[in-house]
Amino acid sequence: MKGAEFLVKALEHEGVELIFGYPGGAIMPVYDALLDSKIRHILVRHEQAAALAADGYARATGKVGVCMATSGPGATNLVTGIANAYMDSVPMVAITGQVATSLMGTDAFQEVDIFGITMPVVKHSFLAKTAAELPRIVHEAFRIARSGRPGPVLIDLPKDIANTVAEYGFHEDATSEEIAEASKESITRAIALMRESRNPVVYAGGGVGMANALDQFRAFIDTTRIPVVATLKGLGALPTTHELALGMMGMHGTKTANHAVQTCDLLICVGARFDDRATGRLNAFAPNAKVIHLDVDRAEVSKLRRADVPVIGNLRHALKALTCKLADIEQWRRECSNSKETHAWDYDAPGTEVYAPGFLKELSDRAGDDSIVACDVGQHQMWVAQHFHFNRPSQHLSSGGLGTMGYGLPAAIGAQLAFPNACVINVSGDGSIMMNLQELATLRRYDLPVKIVLFDNRALGMVRQWQELFHDKRYSEVDLSDNPDFCRVAESMGIPAFRVDDRADVSGAIDRLLAEPGPVLAHVLIHQEANVWPIVGPGRSNSEMLHQHEVAREVAR
Amino acid sequence: MIKFTLQVRVKQSEGALVRILGVTRRRRFDLLHLTADTTEDGHFLDIQMTVQADRAENTLVRQIEKLEDVSQVDVVDPDEICGERRAARSSAR
Repeated sequence: MKGAEFLVKALEHEGVELIFGYPGGAIMPVYDALLDSKIRHILVRHEQAAALAADGYARATGKVGVCMATSGPGATNLVTGIANAYMDSVPMVAITGQVATSLMGTDAFQEVDIFGITMPVVKHSFLAKTAAELPRIVHEAFRIARSGRPGPVLIDLPKDIANTVAEYGFHEDATSEEIAEASKESITRAIALMRESRNPVVYAGGGVGMANALDQFRAFIDTTRIPVVATLKGLGALPTTHELALGMMGMHGTKTANHAVQTCDLLICVGARFDDRATGRLNAFAPNAKVIHLDVDRAEVSKLRRADVPVIGNLRHALKALTCKLADIEQWRRECSNSKETHAWDYDAPGTEVYAPGFLKELSDRAGDDSIVACDVGQHQMWVAQHFHFNRPSQHLSSGGLGTMGYGLPAAIGAQLAFPNACVINVSGDGSIMMNLQELATLRRYDLPVKIVLFDNRALGMVRQWQELFHDKRYSEVDLSDNPDFCRVAESMGIPAFRVDDRADVSGAIDRLLAEPGPVLAHVLIHQEANVWPIVGPGRSNSEMLHQHEVAREVAR
Repeated sequence: MIKFTLQVRVKQSEGALVRILGVTRRRRFDLLHLTADTTEDGHFLDIQMTVQADRAENTLVRQIEKLEDVSQVDVVDPDEICGERRAARSSAR
């Protein structure tokens, strides 16, 4: 057997069903071995999309996503997708072909030091030096990718190693993947703080879903009755329609969520990392709060905000151990729920143009709880976070940490392949869609029924919004009025498409989207100056949210 | 600005030293001094590094600790290490 066959066999052994990739010179032995494997290979049209699709597949399923590319440009094209997975702690194994060992270090054709290039954005990486060690490397790579705080792992495979004939031997380590439980002492101290608190808030991050701790989290909330705010990745940890869910916190969070955090006396951070988009100005964040921080990664605890009580370890165990009835927070709960009512979203916007938040609200109501939404990055991404209802975090695929424009379409492809019967929606913008537009061809090739909602404001909307609000309306390189005709582009790739430019047509457009059996694109024109509200300005505290009516008043003066 | 010395033991593996130095730079710690020796059995690399930064030492310690091949990280007194080394050298003689 050849090294490449070892690799494929080891991937089968790990239960891999799908690989997203693109062939080329140095990875050819693996593509040859794949012909005799039951693993399905999905040919994308750009390696970045392979990594992002593997990421979407991993987020939607909780399994390890696998992507593959050849050496040189194939490998460097994967880097953005690997970094995306790293920033959002997504389990992924990326396999790259490499030039033959004897050519490494000689600037050979399509040689690039992908091991070195990816070092800052992988959890770990391997360079295969013998064929015999490949099964062990693959096994280790999968273990590392999914254990503890998940992340991407790279395997760089030189072509001569892939072609070496050797004896296949596989020895599985008995290493345990069980995460240690948090100390009893930390649990006792955390409960003491919870009992003292009169205004506690739970700040839920992506860790809740990734730790597979939804049941324990919900039991914890239903018993303690503490109000919950969520990060972008934490949305759905508690269903967003739950009475105790106050919405997203941070830059484009709800007034209620930010106000609750800013006035709370105890902040219980569950699997989140005090990211700047969530905290606003850090030294003004939750100024009166003591902090309990639950996380599997001790490097995140007290990294940006000192934790009074760190609770490090298995989240399922910790949440269960912290579940207890709390007295005396009824007044606070009422305050939060009143604020939620007072500041409920208003979908009654002036004008006849399509109002994106209203469109998304209706789409969410009608697509149902089993739908999966993959977003790109920008204004539409924030509108999705604000107006879509999520029942579980794996329903919402969004590039949080890296903010990768072009994420949505490949991620939707990954999710749709994992769940062929689910309603998978890609919400995109006219800027983002162009970053991985070529993947429309992949949708067609595999006949994936992804519904694309393309909001078009003929601009790079989020940057335009910042230039309007924070750069004295000095608009620099945000005009996209020369966009192609997106319907014709989609149709040329075999994807039916239609245009929506009137609010009265929204319901009909959603009917058509949801009724279409195959892929379809709705090109939705919105007002160029539509902004995401509310917003916390750069360098500002989350107590200083700007609202649309306040800015309008400011301009009128 | 704080200055401290770390003693790190890492498995001898592809890029082990570069990985540790990379984390150190990315987390904004300046390297002032570095020595690295392979252990006698050849399986590990023992690294002593002195760094300075505006950030707490734990920020770096915890980032290095979680690297896959790192088996130990300690903040140490540099004089002690030098003393131990001198002692080790003289006993070897």
